Amino acid sequence: MADSAALDSAIKTAGAFVGGGLALGGGAIGASIGDGLAGSSYIQGVARQPEAQGRLQTIFFLTVGLAEAMYFINLAFMALFVFVLGK
Amino acid sequence: MMGPLLPLETNIQIGDHKLGHLWGMTFNLDTIWATGVAGGIVLLLGFLVRWRLTRRDPDHVPSKLQLLWEGVVKEVNTQVEDNLGSVHPFVAPLAIGLFFFILIANWLEIIPSQPTEHFHLLPAPTSDTNLTYAMAIMAMVGVWTMGVRRQGLKNYLKHFTQPIPLMTPLNVIEELVKPVTLALRLFGNIFAGGIMVSLISLLPFYFLWAGDVVWKLFDMFIGAIQAFIFALLVVIYFGMATAHAGEHVEEANEGEGSLDISPSEGRPEGTHQSEPALTH
Repeated sequence: MADSAALDSAIKTAGAFVGGGLALGGGAIGASIGDGLAGSSYIQGVARQPEAQGRLQTIFFLTVGLAEAMYFINLAFMALFVFVLGK
Repeated sequence: MMGPLLPLETNIQIGDHKLGHLWGMTFNLDTIWATGVAGGIVLLLGFLVRWRLTRRDPDHVPSKLQLLWEGVVKEVNTQVEDNLGSVHPFVAPLAIGLFFFILIANWLEIIPSQPTEHFHLLPAPTSDTNLTYAMAIMAMVGVWTMGVRRQGLKNYLKHFTQPIPLMTPLNVIEELVKPVTLALRLFGNIFAGGIMVSLISLLPFYFLWAGDVVWKLFDMFIGAIQAFIFALLVVIYFGMATAHAGEHVEEANEGEGSLDISPSEGRPEGTHQSEPALTH
């Protein structure tokens, strides 16, 4: 009885850790690709028209914030899995 | 419970709040308290600017605080004009207030106020979903109300079927998901900041400070960006809700669009106030 409960808990924890790791990994890949695309467009725009740098910078930071937000939402779910659901 | 399986004693409690109970509802008292503190700080900054403005008359050199407020007000007014076509007397103060409040609320994390693991005196209130959902829902209710009021209920519902009637479910879902993403984006960023600090505190004390400094600086930057994004997205959603008003009801609403902004209390002198655009 106690054995199967401990096994249950161990499997839940293992699943939680794997799920959390996948969430973090996928989120990091997506966020970095998104940020890289935004940065490259920003650099190309500034290279074409250097006086547009101020206006483009606002849009760049907006896009970076939106892309990174997905990663942080993933991080919040990782915390939910690992610290709350996996115990 | 997990002792022999983990190398460290991780005693991280997340989502712990000091609870208060009233009439069967549960309140997160530390979030409410920190919200009050953050709001109080914003009000204090505003009144300080105004007091300094009305105090020294002869050769008034703008103080840094005044420049900060003026800069933010000008930026927000520019964005509101770009998106709504005129400096709307409701949207711009809402965006300015949201920006400053969320900025101060996010930056409350810098103040070390956690004597024990279970007792965080002044947490960032935005690391609690309750606050972010409340702000997002209030903002979106404002957006929807303004959209319905500007266009009339039938036209507003009709714009969900706009490109093709087949896209209606997608458009409706997109509209309903807006408050959810607004709330979760802010929550996720700030909550993750709090968790990283807990994780960094597991490091040995001799290089715990380095990780902490780096992470806190990054967290302040992220907090500022998320405040900016929240305010900007609210302005953009207001703009999107009134975008179609131009075609249908331009004549009826011309009077609304040219409302002059009465000089509100905290408005510093040199702020640029543009003429409202009458065509849209």
